[in-house]
Amino acid sequence: MTFSGALTILMYALTPFLWPIAAGVVALVVVHLLARLRGYRMMAYRCPGASLAAMAAGVSALWWIPAFTHSRLAYVSSVFDWVAMIAAIIGMSLVVWLALHPFSYLLRGRRSRFL
Amino acid sequence: MPQHPLDPVRLDRRRLLQWSACATGLLFSAGLQARAQSSNARIVIVGGGAAGMAMANRLSRRLDGARITLIEPREVHHYQPGWTLVASGVWRPEKTMRSNARFVPGGVDWVRQPAAGIDAPGRQVELSDGTRLDYDYLVVATGLQLNYHLIDGMSPELVGTHGIGSVYASIEGAARTRDTIDAWIAQGQGKGIFTAAPTPVKCAGAPLKMTFTTLSRLEASGRRNDFQVDFLAPGDALFSQPWVDDFVKQRFDEQGVTRRHHYRLSAIDPRAREAEFTFVGPDSEFTSHHELREAEFSREDGRTVVTDYDFIHVVPPMSAPDFIKTSDLVARDGPFRGEWLDVDIHTLQHNRYPDVFGIGDVIGAPINKTAASVKAQAPVVEANLMAQMQGQTLPARHNGYTSCPMITGIGKAMLVEFGYDDNFAFLPSFPFIDPKDESWVAWVMKDRMLQPAYYAVLEGQA
Repeated sequence: MTFSGALTILMYALTPFLWPIAAGVVALVVVHLLARLRGYRMMAYRCPGASLAAMAAGVSALWWIPAFTHSRLAYVSSVFDWVAMIAAIIGMSLVVWLALHPFSYLLRGRRSRFL
Repeated sequence: MPQHPLDPVRLDRRRLLQWSACATGLLFSAGLQARAQSSNARIVIVGGGAAGMAMANRLSRRLDGARITLIEPREVHHYQPGWTLVASGVWRPEKTMRSNARFVPGGVDWVRQPAAGIDAPGRQVELSDGTRLDYDYLVVATGLQLNYHLIDGMSPELVGTHGIGSVYASIEGAARTRDTIDAWIAQGQGKGIFTAAPTPVKCAGAPLKMTFTTLSRLEASGRRNDFQVDFLAPGDALFSQPWVDDFVKQRFDEQGVTRRHHYRLSAIDPRAREAEFTFVGPDSEFTSHHELREAEFSREDGRTVVTDYDFIHVVPPMSAPDFIKTSDLVARDGPFRGEWLDVDIHTLQHNRYPDVFGIGDVIGAPINKTAASVKAQAPVVEANLMAQMQGQTLPARHNGYTSCPMITGIGKAMLVEFGYDDNFAFLPSFPFIDPKDESWVAWVMKDRMLQPAYYAVLEGQA
C-alpha cells in the first residue's frame, strides 16, 4: 500500500469523528494554556485525584470500548486483542490525565505570579 | 563539535531539509511508481461498482490522453460488504451509501445508463437506449445478477414479507431482513431456515454470517432453546476454504444448528410459509453449478422435501448479467460455461479477446467474488492492460487473494484471507492476526476499518 493510500484510509476512518476529535484537542490545548498562564507546571504539580480519575477512566474503557465497537469484553480473547485493548486503555488514561491534571490546578485557584 | 551517538537528535537546518525531502518523497512515491503513459485509446469500463470504479480511477491516473468511459446507471454507491451488518441490526442502512459522483474521477466520461449488450467481435458496447460505444479496450466489471426467479414463487419484492429475508437483495432488502428477523425473535419461538445457493455467490460467507449473527440475537433473547435453526446447503461444503469449512460445521453443531447437505431451495410458498427443497445428490458442489442448474432446476426428476418455516433466509442462484451471458464473452466450456465471463483467472485477460479484461464478481473463478478480491485484482488488470496496450507480455498475475471477515457472532470475527494455491491456503495480511482465531480485533476491522479501506480501493489508492 502506498503512503497516500494509508492516508486515504485514515481520512475515511476519522471523518465521522473529526468534530469530536477537533473539539477534544481544542479543549485540551485551552486548558493547558490557561493553566500554564496561571503557573501550572506538569511535572511540579501533584494531584493524586487526577491520576486516580485517569486510571478509573482507563479501566472503564474495558467496558465502553467493546460497546463502542458493537462488541463485548468477553470477545476480547486473542493475544493481539489484549495488546490492542491494553494500548487503548493506556491511551485513554493518558488523555484523561492530560486533561484533568491542569484542570484540577485551575479549579484549585492557584494564580500565576504573572497575573 | 562532534555529536555523541547517544546525544539527543538536534534538528539543524540541513537535517530539517533532509527530513523534508524524505517526507515529500513518501508523499509522491505513488506518483513516481506509476508514471502516466500517453495514449489515445478508447477504453470502456462496463460497471461502476467496486471493480469498475477502482479501474476508472487507476486508468485515469496512468493514461494521459486516453478516452475513458464508465458505464454506470446508479447515482448511489452501495458498500455491499456492510449489508450483513445492516441485516443483523448493527449498522444503519445510510452508513452504506455514498454518492457515486464522489468517486468518479475527472476526465472520465460517466454514462448514466445501463449497458444492454456487448459486440465483442465488433468492439462495441450497446447501451439501453440503443446507442453504441466503440472501444479499443474493454474492462468488464458488471458485477453479477441475482436469479431469484430460479426459485419458484420467489421474487426480491417478497423480502421482508411472509417471514422471508435475503441480505443480497438490496440495501432495502437487508433492512427488511433485519425487521423480519426482529419479528421472528419477537414471536418467542419458531423455526428458521438458512440456505445456500447452488452457484458461486458474491461474499460466500454472507449466508453463514447471517446465521451466526441471528444465533447471537437468539441467544441474547434468552430463549434460544425455543427456536429451531436449520441450515440447508446444496453441496458438502459450507465454505470453500477447508479449515474454515470444518470450523463452521463444528460451530453450527455446537450451537444447535441442524445441517442438511445436498438440498437446494427450489420453490417457496410465501402465504403458506412453506419452502420446497430439492435433493441434488452427493456429487453436486458449488463449482459444478452448471450441470446442477441444467439437471436440477428443471425439477422433473428431483426428490423434493417441503417444510414449513417462521423465518427463511433466501440466497438466490447467481450468474453474470444476461447481456454478458448472451454475448461472445461468456465462457464456452469448463465449470463456468454459459454463466460467467471467460477470463484467465491469473492475468484476468479474456481467453479469446485479448483486448478485453474482466474484474470483480462477473469473472468465472472458483473464488473471488468479494471487494477484497477487487483490491487484489485491480493492480493486476491495470498493469496487464497497460502492457497489452504497448504490445508487451502481461507482467502481473492474480493469486486468487480473497478475504472474508467471517463474523461468528455479533462482536467477534475471524479474518480469513486465502488464495487459489495449495487448496485455498491462508494468505494472512497481518502476521499478528491468526486467521484461525475468533477475535475482537478482526470484528473491529470489519466494523470500523474495512469500509475506509474499501473507499481507498475505489479511489485507486489501495
